[in-house]
Order: sequence, then C-alpha cells, then structure tokens
Amino acid sequence: MKPNSHTAFQPRGSEVIVEADYVVVGSGAGGAAAAVTLARGGATVIVVEAGPWRDPHDYAHSTYGALRDMMDDWGATITRGPALWPVVQARVVGGTTVINSAICVRTPSDIFDEWQRNFGIGDGGGGQFAERLWRWQDQLETELCVAETGPEAMGRSNELALKGDAAAGYDGHVIRRYAKGCIGSGQCLQGCTEMKKQSTNLNYIPETLRRGGGILSCAAAERILFEGARAIGVTGHFNHPQTRARGAAFTARARRGVFVAASATWSPVLLRKSGLTHKAVGANFRAHPGTGVFGLYDEPVDMNRGVTQGWASTRFRKDGGLKLETLSIPMEMAISRLAGGGRVLMERIQQYRHIAMWVHALRARTAGRVDVSFTGRPVVRYGLDVEDMRRFRDGMLRVAQLHFAAGAREVVTGIHGLPYSLRPDQLDVIANAPLDPRSYVAILSHLFGGCVMGKDASVSVCDAEGRVHGRTGLYIADASMLPDNIGVNPQHTIMAMAMEVATGALK
Amino acid sequence: MCDLMPASGALPGVGDCDIDAFLTKLRAETTALTWVGLCLAALLWLVTPVVTLGVPLPALLLGANARDRHILALTSTRIYLLRQAVFLLKMYASMCWGQHPSVRSHFNLAAYPVDPGTFRTT
Ligand SMILES: Cc1cc2nc3c(=O)[nH]c(=O)nc-3n(C[C@H](O)[C@H](O)[C@H](O)COP(=O)(O)OP(=O)(O)OC[C@H]3O[C@@H](n4cnc5c(N)ncnc54)[C@H](O)[C@@H]3O)c2cc1C
Ligand code: SF4
Repeated sequence: MKPNSHTAFQPRGSEVIVEADYVVVGSGAGGAAAAVTLARGGATVIVVEAGPWRDPHDYAHSTYGALRDMMDDWGATITRGPALWPVVQARVVGGTTVINSAICVRTPSDIFDEWQRNFGIGDGGGGQFAERLWRWQDQLETELCVAETGPEAMGRSNELALKGDAAAGYDGHVIRRYAKGCIGSGQCLQGCTEMKKQSTNLNYIPETLRRGGGILSCAAAERILFEGARAIGVTGHFNHPQTRARGAAFTARARRGVFVAASATWSPVLLRKSGLTHKAVGANFRAHPGTGVFGLYDEPVDMNRGVTQGWASTRFRKDGGLKLETLSIPMEMAISRLAGGGRVLMERIQQYRHIAMWVHALRARTAGRVDVSFTGRPVVRYGLDVEDMRRFRDGMLRVAQLHFAAGAREVVTGIHGLPYSLRPDQLDVIANAPLDPRSYVAILSHLFGGCVMGKDASVSVCDAEGRVHGRTGLYIADASMLPDNIGVNPQHTIMAMAMEVATGALK
Repeated sequence: MCDLMPASGALPGVGDCDIDAFLTKLRAETTALTWVGLCLAALLWLVTPVVTLGVPLPALLLGANARDRHILALTSTRIYLLRQAVFLLKMYASMCWGQHPSVRSHFNLAAYPVDPGTFRTT
C-alpha cells in the first residue's frame, strides 16, 4: 500500500493485499488514537474500517439520513433481555466520535483506585498509571481543542438547566467539549457539518495517513490471522455502504502487531470469530443506560437551537451512579418518545416547541455479555437488576426535580402505566413507578467491556498494556478493554488508554 | 402510520407528508430486518382490534373513530412486544412526518437540506 492512501469499496473479483508495521481495526475513539500514536512513533499503520469515509459535506441532516449513513445496522441493534433497548454506535470512518456530543471528561481518580483494587490494574488514583493517562488527556485536550461552550451557543434548554441547577443545587457545570467554536447548531447526533466537532475522521486518521499510513474503508475485518500464537494480520471483505453488496476480499498483513478497536460490541465478536473462545471474551459488558425526561415550559424552548449537550452534573455520581445532562435530539426522534397515537398524539405534539429534554445516564452495576449471532453480528445480552432499576428510576426523579426547579409546568416521563404528564406535586408518582425495565424507553450509548483488561488471565482478555493473554502481537485498544463502566462520558478515557497501549507496543 | 399521525388543526398528518415515497425509499434502502419488522408491526396493527377494542374485525374495516381508539390503545397496551412493534411504526412515521418541510416550518425549524448519501470513493 502506498503511503497516505485510501482504498474504499472494491467490487468482487480482485483481492486487496496490503502490509504495514501495524494493522488497526476500527477508526473510532480508540482505533484512531492508537493509530496516530503508532504513526507518531515512526511505525507504518493500516487502519481497517468497516464503515465508509464521509466528510462533513457528506453528512446527513435528517434522522433518517443519519440512521442510513452513519449508524451501525440502521441503529437496529437492541439488547436481548427483559427490555429491548437500542445499543447505539456508528459505522463510519471516525466511529462513534462522528455522531457523539464530543463531551470531554477526564478519568475520575476513584476509577483508578477501583481498577487497582478490583482488577489489579495500575497503582491507584495517586499512582504513575493514572498520571500517565492524565498526561495523555492533557495532550488530547490541546490537540482536539477542548473548550466550554460559549453562552452564545447554549440555547434555551441549556440555559434553563443552568437556572434549575442554581435553584436545586445540583453543582452542575457548562460542559467542556472537543468542539472549540461550536455555534450551537444542535446537529451533533447527525455529524457536525460546521466542522467544529473534532471527530477522529478530521484529525487523527488524516494525520496517520500523512505519516505514511493507509486506510481501507467499507472494509469489515472478519478474522484475525495468526502464525502460531502471533497475530500477523486481518482478513475480511469490502461491503458497499449503499447496496450492502459484498465486494472484494482483503488481507491486511501486520509485521509487528494487530490492534483491535472495533468497539465494545464488535471487538469481542472479531476475537471469537478468530478462534479466541475463552469465556472472558464477550463477558463483562457494561453500559450507562440512560433515558430522558421532558419538561413542558410556558415559554418556547426550541430545544433544537443551541448546543446538543451544554450542561451536566456529576453530583449524584458517587452515591447514585448518576450523571445528569441536557440533550437535544432531533424533532423526529423526540416525537416518537411522546406517548400515545392518533389524535391524542397530535395534540401532544403541538407542545413541541415548549419541550426541553434532559437525561440521566446510570453507572449500572449489572454486567451483560456479547455473543455472536448466526449472521456474525453482536448479540448484546443485557438487563438491569432491581437495584439498578431503582437507581435508574431515581435518576428520572432527579431530572424531573431539576425541570421543576427551572420552572417547568409539567414533566413527561414516558414511563409505561404512568399519567402522560405530571405536575410538581405528583413527583411521588415517579418515585413509586414500576421497576420493570419494560416500562421504560432507554438507550445504551456508553458501552464498556467485552475484552476487559485485568491481571488475572482466567477472567480477563488482555493486560493493562492491551496485550491479549496467550497471544503475541495482538492488542485491544478501545472501549472493550475497560473493565468496568466509569460513570462519566468515556471517550477521553478510551483515547488515553489507546495511546498508552500504542506507546507500550512501540517499546 | 396514517392512523398514528393524522392531520390535526394546522398540522399535516403523515399521509400529507409524502409517506408513499418515504416508504418506497425506506424499503429500497433499509435492512431486510428493519423492513420485516415494520411489516410485522403493521400486520399486528391490522389484526389486533379484537385485543384493544374487543372487535373481531381487521383495523382497516373500522370507522375513523374506532381506528383512532385502536391505535391509542395499542401504544399503551400491557403487551410489551405489541407496544414495541407500534413504537417501531411510530419511529418511522415520526421520521417521515418530522423531516417534511411543512412540519419543520410549523415548528420554526429550517428545512433539512437533502441528505447527500455520499462518501469518499478514493
Ligand atoms: C449518541 C452518542 C453520543 C455520545 N456522546 C459522547 C460524548 O459526548 N462524550 C463521550 O465521551 N462519549 C460519548 N459517547 C460514547 C463514545 O462515543 C464512545 O464511547 C466511543 O466512541 C467508543 O470508542 P470505540 O473506539 O470503542 O468505538 P467506536 O468509536 O464506536 O469505533 C469503533 C469503530 O470500529 C468499526 N468496526 C466495527 N467492527 C469492525 C470490523 N469488523 N472491521 C473494521 N471496523 C470495524 C466501527 O465501524 C467503528 O467505526 C457517545 C455515544 C453515542 C452513541
Ligand atoms: S452543536 Fe452543532 S456546531 Fe456545535 S459541535 Fe454539535 S453539530 Fe457542531
């Protein structure tokens, strides 16, 4: 493969064979951070990415277009468990960083203590491992232009949250994001056509190419190749992003190592398909399931004006495992969350401009599992236990309280069986809502585990340097290696870990 | 889908928002699984008036008011899988309806530019 080259979909009939020092599978938060670190260290890198390469002028504007062009499987991956909750991930060069809100949160110190205590990873929040990751995060913040959203881009929904926070004492803050100069177009979930959001397709992937690397896009890795215990490359097929036609076969050979960074759902699938059948592969899948509560205000809120996510609170993270945030979703998605159908639904929709949506994300204790379906896709087995459901419900209560502190007239919870909307004197209805997960509409967008790191090879897949136990030249460098959920937005932690793993590999 | 989101006051219904063209495009572009899911959900809507209203007729043969009551009852049924099936219908009906320029202007939102659907080929 020539330096700085991109090979997109290739039709059947030919076979593409490329070679470099390292092959990195996946170009999202983990894959791109690993690839650029390897390239900066002087290695040649080939990135293998299942999705197409879309530039900001290629991004969709509507929700329909975003599902079609950006999402893995049209966003149709759902949990198999008591409730069917969507598992949201992107399939595009840049991975989920293209469609996320670019919220940047440093790894909390207590996470390093837990990693040391529970998994034998690192040396705690005061140790060198934490120091190194935080240094990577310093670097990331500079390179990806992390900044607080300016007041001019906040929009009314975020302003109301700040107002509610001041009254309710939630110790919240304006969110820091990898999006300097954000103009608050509220389109983060469809991809930032304004080029403010620093998704990895705009920076680390092009830099990897400039430094002599290459990328295969529309190229799903299907198997890791081994010579004995040593990983020597990956093989797979191109898939057309529009027709889904299967194209040419490809082989990407790695002289020094293979990095797996295909996400918490796809990395375990790739390992399993490659013959790594250890029970730890796919185990310990975790998430931050979350849901929204709508506040109905007398004034128009127009939540689609202003930054997608501008305010957050971690006040209830340690006690309740909760992170609270504002989140504006496109109108099409918000409407499908309103209960009812027919004339009743249309009456409710009339209030759309007066709705603000705020959410919670729960640091759930429940662990799930990723298996491989007969079609070769991830099957996510996951369902919250009663204790988690209690905290999940509590999160909704706290969001509702915040709305009322901000002056909302009513809140709409979407909990099945409850009245459509509730007044401030009806909060006990939420507090006593059923604990059956099927009563709630939730999503999983922060995913962890499946190829977790740990000292004990009998319960983990790789060590703290990402090296897969029992193999050589095979590394994990994405959300799948995180041994537990962290209670804050994970991209910063994933990228820092990937940089750490890549640096270790270069030694 | 038209029963889910009928015209109401100044708001157009999904039937006024090029739903046929939307469904043709969706069928051509989406995965087989999503399309089959939508067809199954529509079938469930058709055959369940007996569950929601106690009327042993397909939904298509009901009068307008009964159909409205049927769809409302389906969205809040205790049967989870049925509720989820209607949720799927509603999600796609909302997409068709909510991206329509007349609806967006009603809510003071700029019309969506065309989704280019393009990607780098070299
Ligand atoms: C809607 C949404 C909003 C979010 N907002 C935030 C936020 O504001 N801040 C934050 O910190 N986190 C946020 N997150 C989470 C964050 O984006 C993810 O945790 C992070 O991107 C995960 O990184 P990753 O490298 O593990 O996976 P990804 O970024 O998903 O990248 C994996 C890549 O691998 C590719 N791939 C998969 N299988 C294969 C294969 N077989 N062969 C080749 N390539 C493959 C995929 O196409 C994808 O491009 C959000 C997530 C979502 C869904
Ligand atoms: S709110 Fe708009 S301008 Fe700001 S980062 Fe998101 S998409 Fe870009």
